Amino acid sequence: MRLHTRLVALVSGLGVLLGTAGVTVGSAQETRIGGVTGHAAAGKKVYRRYCILCHGPDGDGNGENAQWIDPKPRDFTLGVFKCRSTPTGTLPTDEDLFNAMSRGFVTTNMPPWLPLSRQNRADVVAYIKSFSPKWKTTKAGTPITIPQEPALTIESIRHGRELYQKMECWKCHGAKGHGDGPSAATLTDNRDLPIRPYDFSTGSRFMCGVTNRDLYKIFMTGLDGTPMPSFADDIKPAEGWDLVHFLRTLQPLDTPELAMWRAWLATHAGELKPIGPAGPGQ
Amino acid sequence: MRTAYIAVFAMMALGTSVTTVRVAPSAAGTVSGKVTYTGTPPKMKPIDMAKEPNCAKEHAAAPVLTENVVTGPGNSLRWVVVYVSAGDEGSTPGTEPVRLDQKGCQYIPHVLVVQQDQPLDIYNDDPHAHNIHPLAKVNPEWNRSQPAGAPPIHTKWEKPEFIPVKCNVHPWMHGWHIVVATSHYAVTGEDGQFSLKGLPPGKYTLTAWQEQFGTLSQDVTITGTETKAVNFVFKATPY
Amino acid sequence: MAKGSTRGAGSLRGSWLVSGVVTCACLMAALALSGRGSKAYTAYSLAVHKTKAIPAFARKYGLPCSACHTAWPELNAFGQAFRDRGYQLGNDRDSPIWQNPSYIPVTFRMTPNLHRESATKQAVDAVPGDGTSGLVSKTITQSGFDLSGMDLWTAGTLYKNISFVLLPSSDNTGAFHFEAAFVRFDNLFSNRWVNFKVGKFELDNLISEKRFLFLSGNGGAYQGYHFLPAGDVNDFGLGDNQIGAELSGHSENSYTRYGIALLSSTDGEVNLPTNQGYDAFLTLSHAVDVGSLGVERLGAYAYLGRRPTYFQTSVGTPIPGTGTGNKPFYRIGLAGDFFFGDFELLPFVMHASDDAYLATGTAANVALPPGARDARWNSGFVEAHYYVNPQLVFTGRWETVRMSQQADPTLPSDLGNIDAYSGGIRWYPIMFSRAGLSWHTEVSAVRTRGSAFSATDNVWTTSLFSGLDFDF
Repeated sequence: MRLHTRLVALVSGLGVLLGTAGVTVGSAQETRIGGVTGHAAAGKKVYRRYCILCHGPDGDGNGENAQWIDPKPRDFTLGVFKCRSTPTGTLPTDEDLFNAMSRGFVTTNMPPWLPLSRQNRADVVAYIKSFSPKWKTTKAGTPITIPQEPALTIESIRHGRELYQKMECWKCHGAKGHGDGPSAATLTDNRDLPIRPYDFSTGSRFMCGVTNRDLYKIFMTGLDGTPMPSFADDIKPAEGWDLVHFLRTLQPLDTPELAMWRAWLATHAGELKPIGPAGPGQ
Repeated sequence: MRTAYIAVFAMMALGTSVTTVRVAPSAAGTVSGKVTYTGTPPKMKPIDMAKEPNCAKEHAAAPVLTENVVTGPGNSLRWVVVYVSAGDEGSTPGTEPVRLDQKGCQYIPHVLVVQQDQPLDIYNDDPHAHNIHPLAKVNPEWNRSQPAGAPPIHTKWEKPEFIPVKCNVHPWMHGWHIVVATSHYAVTGEDGQFSLKGLPPGKYTLTAWQEQFGTLSQDVTITGTETKAVNFVFKATPY
Repeated sequence: MAKGSTRGAGSLRGSWLVSGVVTCACLMAALALSGRGSKAYTAYSLAVHKTKAIPAFARKYGLPCSACHTAWPELNAFGQAFRDRGYQLGNDRDSPIWQNPSYIPVTFRMTPNLHRESATKQAVDAVPGDGTSGLVSKTITQSGFDLSGMDLWTAGTLYKNISFVLLPSSDNTGAFHFEAAFVRFDNLFSNRWVNFKVGKFELDNLISEKRFLFLSGNGGAYQGYHFLPAGDVNDFGLGDNQIGAELSGHSENSYTRYGIALLSSTDGEVNLPTNQGYDAFLTLSHAVDVGSLGVERLGAYAYLGRRPTYFQTSVGTPIPGTGTGNKPFYRIGLAGDFFFGDFELLPFVMHASDDAYLATGTAANVALPPGARDARWNSGFVEAHYYVNPQLVFTGRWETVRMSQQADPTLPSDLGNIDAYSGGIRWYPIMFSRAGLSWHTEVSAVRTRGSAFSATDNVWTTSLFSGLDFDF
């Protein structure tokens, strides 16, 4: 049975390959994720079992159930993805897709597919890449370099707060990170559908992970397809960690950042300038 | 004497190699004309920039109008891109950087045209941040923040496409990047006039694109150095 | 779910001819209707376009049935994890406020069918109608169209991390009972290893009889899950839902799972009919991801129970719930769920023992018959599934029960032994999140040692079954 399955996979994989009038040789049909090689032909079967009713048989996010779902399932034909380790405007790495699928997207209908075997998930990643012609003509972006997270200090949090003001994050995310900034109500994504900015006060998982490092990547690569831009042009790599530390103080979670911030606020709250439109002297 | 021959040969070799910078041939015609409309175009509405106090103040005296259909005297249409879409001859690559400004919470120009791989520089002239979010489908879609005082963003577009551009922070900001394969293009001004020069003899298809009314195409043949008149008339609808 | 057991009389010769014609007609209809706009489905799927209404979990989350089920109702690894989390997808989208207004949180399941049952060596009057003509051995056959029982199933979350199931179920006459009804507190102390369930529920068997792929009279139950030697007054079945409380836990992907249950000694019957005693059920399983083969799962279980051997009586009538003279029994063993690509193998072994008092039906306050011993037996099965695609599965099972020690030493050692064989095909012409329909065909045969006439007779009971298993 195994040999038969492999033969079928090989032949259909070859068929898919030969049918592709692409530049790259085999790399669009294969993924390599941590020692596991995924194949698009096998991924098609897995996709049919699990993915098809939301993402659609053509991978365009128009599955049978897409009409009832908000936010809409991803349209793989565009080749635009939110959660990447690569710069804005570039394709994600295979690991990015694998991790996104395993983690799921909290507050959306995309579940964590962790119970699927690694092979299954790697195969699906290979199949997903076949939906957009961009994978045939462009390589995945180069993952951004993330410096080591420095020790947490109050200066780091305060500098992060200054960045939050200067980069005008509050315009969408609001002065306290409640997702209620002046521009929040009119935000639309790249399909012209309304979309809300992340509300830090819920303490829920980020779309792209839970760690400080995941948060760093979010604003340093941007969430492509959404209003969230990349700040890589404007925030120096080391400074990014300052912003991460400040953002953690906006969440009602049991973090060292929040503990440090509260302790400092107890005696220094009067020193803070409010976040928001620049008043005199700001 | 021999060195002179070598020098001449060298210059000739240089001369032939230099012709890769295709200088427009001497026999070249022009196509010019006017873009107008019939029917009733939509009324452009004033934009309320209250969400961005700096910009609201700047335009307090003369509010900015939406720009999807800008008309001029004699039923002319502004911001129409007229370009050679087929039969292109004598085209030169675009090397001069094209500049996009974000000023007073507007994209200036509203429609800009770049050639494939032509440098594009994006400036933020406002005292507050913008993000530039070109909604490209064929080219990569990116989204970059540009705070006040940040250096210009240097980028380019590789493939021909009509790319709408927006700023998410300021939802009224809409612009277009038109990426063309040809160096023969023009964007009409308020008078709706356009002129494409330097067209060697041949058959051409001219396309006019207006962001709301779509495209119109016409064929034109150039035989020598004449100026052919080509006009485009769009059917305008109020919505 | 009550499996279809017919009471219709009369045999229909060539019932298989009718079934065959019906089969071909369905297949032709399917082929004729297939192909429109369904790119990723096999040629056998019926085309479905826009749908308006949507069913239970599939429609709640927009997932196809095959996302949670290898072939419904059997769960795959993703469905097992969903169930373990308390029917929560893991993304805070379980509350009704996220659902489409046309979402109905109830599923109905029913299987109208055509079937034929046959049993050899049955005791029958020599002259029909004459009760004094003496009993002879005859083969009895029944066949015809019939209904199965019906499940009316609802499950979900009452609140974040509080889940429930309510499953009124009827037999094919429409007589209802509660198959399952429980509340479960999930992820207590924010820990997925601590979940507490109270009510009537299926035991956490690695191989679930409630969710398996067999429906016929002889194939629609695991022999080992119900077998009791003749004369045994125990009523326990590993496949019967029990009433009690269960503490369970699972790893993040549900590859490692455990369960500890405390159950009333009533085999899931209501109104406290037996005693004030409790049984215990322990289970532990672990799964390993072996790359392209799939996920391999192995588990161990132990059921330790007690049943009363006599009751307090009033004027000779036993008073329910006052059972006393409790005697123990146990069921222990291993179960596995192994994948080799699209081929699934489910092996199961069990060692069972019923105390001599239970096995001989002796009250604990009297002496045992001379020589009486504990009844012991071993059972096991190997079940195989081959998934051609998520909508077509071939199944097969071989099962055996072997008495290792009869309670009555004078009985032949192989009396009651069973060999059972089953095979079937389930084809799902439609499998969308709207509803499911499976055309299920099955053949089963059971050979039991010992008839009413002789302890060395082999009694064969066979089922031929073909039905439309649908739910919405």
